[in-house]
Amino acid sequence: MTGIEIDTTRYDSGERMPSVDSRIYSNRQIFEEELEKIWKKVWLVTVHESEIPEPLDFRTITIAREPIVIVRGTDGTVRAFLNVCPHRGNLILRQPSGSLTVAEPSGNANHMTCMFHAWQFDCFGRCVDIPRMKQGYQERLRNEDVALTELPCEVAHGGFVWLSLNPDSGPLSAFTGGAFDAMKTELETEPLDVFHYHKAIIPSNYKLWHDTNSEFYHDYMHYFNRATSMVQKGYFDRRYGAFPNGHATVGSMEVKYDAYKGAAERPLSFPGMERNGWKMVDLFPGATYNIRGSSLRLDTMTPISADLVMIEFRGLGLKKDTAEERAQRIRDHNTIWGPFGRNLHEDLLGITGQGVTMRPGTAPRRILHGRHENNLIHDEIGMRHYYAEWARRMGRSPANPMAAPIAMAAE
Amino acid sequence: MSITTTDEIETTRTAIRETIYRACLLLDDGRFADWLDLCAPDFRYQIKAFSPEIRKEMTWYEQDVSGLRTMIEMLPKHNTDHGRLMRHATVYTIDIDRDGGNAVATTAFSCYRTAFDGINSHLDAGESQLFVIGRYHDRLRLGADGPRFVERTVVLDTRRLDKGSHYPV
Repeated sequence: MTGIEIDTTRYDSGERMPSVDSRIYSNRQIFEEELEKIWKKVWLVTVHESEIPEPLDFRTITIAREPIVIVRGTDGTVRAFLNVCPHRGNLILRQPSGSLTVAEPSGNANHMTCMFHAWQFDCFGRCVDIPRMKQGYQERLRNEDVALTELPCEVAHGGFVWLSLNPDSGPLSAFTGGAFDAMKTELETEPLDVFHYHKAIIPSNYKLWHDTNSEFYHDYMHYFNRATSMVQKGYFDRRYGAFPNGHATVGSMEVKYDAYKGAAERPLSFPGMERNGWKMVDLFPGATYNIRGSSLRLDTMTPISADLVMIEFRGLGLKKDTAEERAQRIRDHNTIWGPFGRNLHEDLLGITGQGVTMRPGTAPRRILHGRHENNLIHDEIGMRHYYAEWARRMGRSPANPMAAPIAMAAE
Repeated sequence: MSITTTDEIETTRTAIRETIYRACLLLDDGRFADWLDLCAPDFRYQIKAFSPEIRKEMTWYEQDVSGLRTMIEMLPKHNTDHGRLMRHATVYTIDIDRDGGNAVATTAFSCYRTAFDGINSHLDAGESQLFVIGRYHDRLRLGADGPRFVERTVVLDTRRLDKGSHYPV
């Protein structure tokens, strides 16, 4: 399942001990550059289609400080627009979710209405009403001149809404490549449904969370994982796969959940997945699909500043679940992944601590990414592969990021 | 056990109110085993919240007595935040069944965390911050030993919990 050769990365070639400079996590200039060169350029996974099940349902999100509204049209198609009124730049939809079928104080039902001056837009982004347009603009402005800015948007890889701020982003399939090949059956056989959502804002750099999701050496932090996985057969055989554009996968094993007192074997699974299996897809620049037997967790990140990140956590099961099956998946999910679960709290403490030592203005430090274990589970190839892509897009070496930008070869 | 007179009702309400407040103090002090002594053997504990993002009521935590005891027993094996959680609670309503066997109570609470580890303990230790707010929806069984919790559903209004917690709220 390995998509590309993963033994070489651009920033560590020739180094005895691959490392990165901590300023990639703490420098404000680098962060701003990341927003421009990465977050505004690539495809990003956002909400799940089950969050907008009906025509005219909407969700609002933010990417690289740009407010975005995702709307299911009356034709059933999901579209994304900048959530910015083209009149005086006000935010149009202010709620996290809702239905356009509900009229607003300034506007009619079935429209997105800017409350400021009551400009109204339909679910296709077309401007449908400008109050006193002819009196104010005469013939100089027409409705069709001021449509909302539509963004590239696709529903894929388990029914998630993917979008890009880059109008020239190309098809999503070219960006994800073969990264989902190993999870295709689990994600595509049955429609999925979200049962869990919560978010955390953590004073740390977003890449540190992705690093945590990209290496398993940190299982030493989790008693749950040591008991149920690390000492079990197959753990050290789990293999990383690396794919173009910085994505990586982690192969499965059979987790012995009942090896942790109080936990139980997970009787439910996903289509095509062995019972108690565990596989992951880490997506550049900041999302992870993680299936552990009966539940899928999706982490998505919204970088806020060099030392602040919002992480959203979703848990999903199958749409066809019975009430009993759904309750079982939720219990399994919460054991380690809920806000009161065993593992998530520990993971968040980990990057919180890193955030203290790598705040803007702290001394540059060498951060080791140098474990080589034949691309198996405690190898740090996942991080090295990520930073090779980071280097390519940023034109900077992660090991020497403050040097003059360098021209990097194309992938 | 029929509770009919005004005095009986008020005495029972006082006992329920004190049981709820005593539970808060025991949780504040981390005396989880003593807290569970206030619970019936068939006690169930849940933490729930409604997410407008996914338009669903969510269950974030669910345990029976055995599960809670095990969870508490396993805590020392886990890395955790060592801040102290302290509750401020007000019992709003108590409704006693006609037959006097059970009661339900609604309590508003806020839970503060006083940092020990914090983010950087040198800076944060000693600082109190609001962790979560919500309501306790309790069902209690009334017996000779006094009221015992049969069910507690913590309904959180707070939905952004940042680093979260290993402890019941």
